[in-house]
Amino acid sequence: MPPLSGWTVWITGFVGKVPALDRVMHLFASDFFIPVVICLIMLALWLWHRDRVKREQLQRHVMYAATAIGISTLWVHIINAFWDPWLRPFAVGDPTVRESARHAAQIVFYFAHDPSFPSNATTIAFAAATGVFFGNRKAGLVLYVLALLWAFARFYAGVHFFVDILTGAVIGILTAFFISKLFMPRVEPFPSWFLKAARFLYIA
Amino acid sequence: MAADYFVMVFIASIGVYQIVSIHAKFDGLCFFKQPILQFIFGALVLIGAFVWFFTSEERNVQHTVEGAQQLGLFLGAIVAGFATTGIIASLIKAKVKPQVDDPPARKQHEMGVETLKTKTLFDGIASSLKKEGRDKV
Repeated sequence: MPPLSGWTVWITGFVGKVPALDRVMHLFASDFFIPVVICLIMLALWLWHRDRVKREQLQRHVMYAATAIGISTLWVHIINAFWDPWLRPFAVGDPTVRESARHAAQIVFYFAHDPSFPSNATTIAFAAATGVFFGNRKAGLVLYVLALLWAFARFYAGVHFFVDILTGAVIGILTAFFISKLFMPRVEPFPSWFLKAARFLYIA
Repeated sequence: MAADYFVMVFIASIGVYQIVSIHAKFDGLCFFKQPILQFIFGALVLIGAFVWFFTSEERNVQHTVEGAQQLGLFLGAIVAGFATTGIIASLIKAKVKPQVDDPPARKQHEMGVETLKTKTLFDGIASSLKKEGRDKV
């Protein structure tokens, strides 16, 4: 059992009490809603600026954010391959945690079978938000809000412990920082070649 | 599930392109002459895609569309959405301004989407090909 597992019992205790909140969390926890909204916002930013130079700058940051999503997912897979420290909250041995989380997951989400630690959803959402934040603060903040909602919904649904969520967010933020500030500027001209190829295809 | 996901992103991306092209002034991607009509159309298409996807079936179930597949489907859908938007706008020829300070045709590929401010996708590709053909002769 991870530290702070009592928080799972507390948060999942709310599930079933306010049906409207459960329905909203059911949508936010989905594998498809918030990730698609985040990616569509990134798509909109790709073409957003009227000015060509500003547009290209933002396209670079969207590209960095997309790369950060890929690399952070890779980190999660590597961690999962070597270390799977605990089961999902609805599958742990402690009956208090298990039953509370099982009830929540049944109503809000489903019984996911992949590893609990770290939260992959939180990792990619925070990687996207951080990557975009370096290029456009307002859009980045919107993505941070979406990332928090997605993470909270997964916690509320009893499919992750708080530590899974927190670790996922840290991995996502650090990976995006590394990619945007350290890695990508050092691998020029590859990002520029990619943008040139995209312009050739009229998609950038 | 995968097909539904593709269709949702494809339709939603068309809505996004319509809304963004108002702001970025990509007249070559616009379906309508009036920005307000275009915005309403874009928003309806975008919201409609989500409403259809999430109300047609229960989506919070164990499924097989995993991360990498989702990414591939998303990229395929947005590229297909872009091509469809470009083709429809070219066919409608909506709101395309007369060419002002048109860049040299050979440079159009290098200009990328910037070309779509003054030309439709078809016109941009056609004039690039024409110019290249003339250069070869």
